[in-house]
Amino acid sequence: MNESRPYRRPAPKDWWAKAPYRAYTVREMSGLAVAGYGAVLFAGLYSLSQGPESWAAYVRFLQSPVSLLLHAALLAAVLYHVKTWFQILPKTMPKLILGRAPVAQRTITRVATIFAGACSLALVLITLGVAR
Amino acid sequence: MPDPAKKTIELRILRYQPGVDAAPSFGTFEVAGAENMSVLEALQTIKDTLDGSLSFRWSCRMAVCGSCGMMINGEPKLACSTFLRDLPPGPVTVEPLNNFPIERDLVISVGGFVKKIESIYPYIMPKEPKTVEQGPYRQTPAQLAAYESFSDCINCMLCYAACPQFGENPDFIGPGAMALLQRYNGDSRDAGRQKRLDTIHGENGVWSCTAVGICSEVCPKSVDPANAVNQNKTNSAFDFFLRFLRKE
Amino acid sequence: METFETDILIVGAGGAGLRAAIAAAEADPAARIALVSKVLPMRSHTVAAEGGSAGVIQSHDSLDAHFNDTVHGGDWLCDQDVVEFFVSRCTPELIQLEHWGCPWSRKPDGQINVRAFGGMKIERTWFAADRSGFHILHTLFQTSTKYPQIRRFDEAFCLDLIVDGGRAQGATVMSPATGAFSAIFARAVILATGGAGRVFRQNTNGGIVTGDGMAMAYRHGVPLRDMEFVQYHPTCMPGSGVLFSEACRGEGGYLVNKDGYRYLQDYGLGPATTEPRNKAMELGPRDRLSQAFWQEDRKGRTVTTPQGESAVYLDLRHLGLAKLKERLPLIRGLAMEFMGLDPAEALIPVRPAVHYTMGGIVTDIHTATPLAGLFAAGECSSVGIHGANRLGSNSLGELTVFGRVAGEQAVKFAKDAPAVDAGRLVDQAKASAAKALALRDQKGGGERHSVLRKEMAATMEKGCGIYRLGTEMQETCDKLAELKQRLGQVTLDDRSDIWNTDWIAALELDYQLDVAEAMAQSALARKESRGAHQRLDGFEKRDDENFLAHSLAHYRAGAAPDITYGPVTITKSKPGARAYGALGEQLEQAKKDGTHA
Repeated sequence: MNESRPYRRPAPKDWWAKAPYRAYTVREMSGLAVAGYGAVLFAGLYSLSQGPESWAAYVRFLQSPVSLLLHAALLAAVLYHVKTWFQILPKTMPKLILGRAPVAQRTITRVATIFAGACSLALVLITLGVAR
Repeated sequence: MPDPAKKTIELRILRYQPGVDAAPSFGTFEVAGAENMSVLEALQTIKDTLDGSLSFRWSCRMAVCGSCGMMINGEPKLACSTFLRDLPPGPVTVEPLNNFPIERDLVISVGGFVKKIESIYPYIMPKEPKTVEQGPYRQTPAQLAAYESFSDCINCMLCYAACPQFGENPDFIGPGAMALLQRYNGDSRDAGRQKRLDTIHGENGVWSCTAVGICSEVCPKSVDPANAVNQNKTNSAFDFFLRFLRKE
Repeated sequence: METFETDILIVGAGGAGLRAAIAAAEADPAARIALVSKVLPMRSHTVAAEGGSAGVIQSHDSLDAHFNDTVHGGDWLCDQDVVEFFVSRCTPELIQLEHWGCPWSRKPDGQINVRAFGGMKIERTWFAADRSGFHILHTLFQTSTKYPQIRRFDEAFCLDLIVDGGRAQGATVMSPATGAFSAIFARAVILATGGAGRVFRQNTNGGIVTGDGMAMAYRHGVPLRDMEFVQYHPTCMPGSGVLFSEACRGEGGYLVNKDGYRYLQDYGLGPATTEPRNKAMELGPRDRLSQAFWQEDRKGRTVTTPQGESAVYLDLRHLGLAKLKERLPLIRGLAMEFMGLDPAEALIPVRPAVHYTMGGIVTDIHTATPLAGLFAAGECSSVGIHGANRLGSNSLGELTVFGRVAGEQAVKFAKDAPAVDAGRLVDQAKASAAKALALRDQKGGGERHSVLRKEMAATMEKGCGIYRLGTEMQETCDKLAELKQRLGQVTLDDRSDIWNTDWIAALELDYQLDVAEAMAQSALARKESRGAHQRLDGFEKRDDENFLAHSLAHYRAGAAPDITYGPVTITKSKPGARAYGALGEQLEQAKKDGTHA
């Protein structure tokens, strides 16, 4: 008598696989694609250091259908990651006050995404220009 | 005779009576004329007419006192502002808030949460102390807007029920207490920022958070606790590196 | 039984209790303070106050003007010395809250903003959007955590006071979480338990507003004063009674009947101007507006809602979405979530519901009750500022002004009080515990307390509603006596110890029935019409000759209370005609001309 005996429900171990947490899990997994890209670039750097033959093999690999497929998948995952990254961005910064009210988080996401897109496009154009 | 115009709705409610039940189990109740009821009103009807032993917390009925948080069809909700007419047809499942110990039926332990909000110095430590005779501080609408949404937290704890990291680590300070911390750290009248930051470094502080973000989605008052937690990760990190440069 | 010793025991941790605790801690840092609340402090009903708190701050305003509005609004049943003290303390208390962090709404330059409110001649209501009570409560609760000498007993249900040698010396409490009893002994006790609006059917109050402290003091011989004055708030959600703040009208909202006509102009509140005019039309006092609704309903100019309630409409459309979002976000949220309509585009059906108990535990200006060592503050008390009708935005001020007084006075009293004799007092606590257990475990006759509660609420609405008749009030008194008998026949579904909310509800009903009886008997005895007490059976006029007096209900075990009358303190405002709208302005002008002549 007179004793509280609270019951602790075991926390489900597979919460990450269920709604509404699934989107978070996919977002975090898509971050692996960034590491994947990094690995590809690092492999290129390594081949370069191993001499022209190794470099040529690396380039051949890049042109193979498997590599193209892999790149398409990585690109899709990275783009998704970028999109979600900018969605989280306003959550990680102090409120931006313009006038009397905080700027809507959607606006911050949109402006930042457009800015990053513009920078990326500029980088691509510069790279193409240099290559020419 | 049942009135055909009056819809009957079935509620499946997780029941637990310590000392009697080894573990919680569902009990089923039929509530007549429930189409315009909130879940809270349905629970009250059950308690008044069918089973007085059903226990749950409630008070204001207008989504501001923060008492009646529970899992409704698996989502953390305030029972008073969740209406049966807005839920999909079929039985409605009602459970106590996730991630908290169950004391009885829909009543969960709240002491841990209260300790957390007490731990972060939830009061103004004035930048420039003033007497009442000197009048109010000035605070522009923009300065107010910098912390206003965080001051709207009603302590309903839905965000804790939505936070898987709190589920894994009950000592994690969690979204609600962090919103309160940011409410004071963001206040132009306050100078207690450093003292509060010192309470949130480490595993039980902000760093248990992995930015799942559902806490903000379930918040009934648009407090956005995820924003409070995540901007303080940055603050905590800066504070960690800058403390070596600070003259103590 | 576990026992605790403390210097000051505060029962109730809403606005008044928390303010008292902080004041006591600041007045004597060595004092031990026990703060008992039946819920977590931030669940207390102060949380639901919306509109704001009055305090003179504009240069063209004055304490005299606030005084006059309050006394006028209370139909001269206010103790004017207390009102004078009150209005002088409101603004300092609001500034104190500001220093503690209360997020008051501001003007563009960062100064405090104020809004218009019903019955107030000049704008003086400080507000935090439409969540003023919420912010005051949370500010006070959070600030109270700064003081380690405040020991909180959260979720502890108070069963009875401990009174010995003619002095209040503590209370017996029960922990719902375990069913365990404990005794808290103290040198001084403050009751800050809030109102009793739940004794009525349609009300704006939270489930916890059951008059516990009123009943406790009453049973120990402290009279309940002016209990017949129960405020109906004119704009509430039909069915549930959830409140739509007076701030809706302070910001410029209209009240219209089923034909879209601003009907208040027919009840001495006009003329109907487009722009809000203070102390006129929608900015009239709550008693007059609720009475106008009743008349309008009688004339068949209301609508019937799906809940089967009559209603008029609150029109906020002309305020525009931006203003609604800034000034009335809670109201808009309630309309959208609970009623599925956006006030920016649609009319809100509203009707009066019971909101506030003007009366309560009788205290002097220092919040001291006639029982030595017992103080009371907030809605549970009757300190004398509200008279026969409280003005909107005077109750939040009351919490802080008199909460603080109670804390300071209790400290003073405790310093001189002899130590408690715990050994003798514990027997009293055990007797209170046994009485509570008896109600839980009684065999009864199969009555459900929920049925009794519904019958109580229905009879209170019928007999003690907006307009009252002697015969109906008598029926209500008889019904309440019957319900008190039937409480002995209640059989609980739940006899367990842990979180037995069935039991707590029965204990609360026991309190409610005593408070309801004090209300009904006081109403029956007052043979006049004044403020919120309006009769239609030959007593339609105010009768200053016989009834410019406070009613006092004295508890009698097993019988109806004894009703006596006490004097009203009148200092500088002689009772006059109470008028609003154009007539009110005329009278005011005449008064001014008179004094200048």
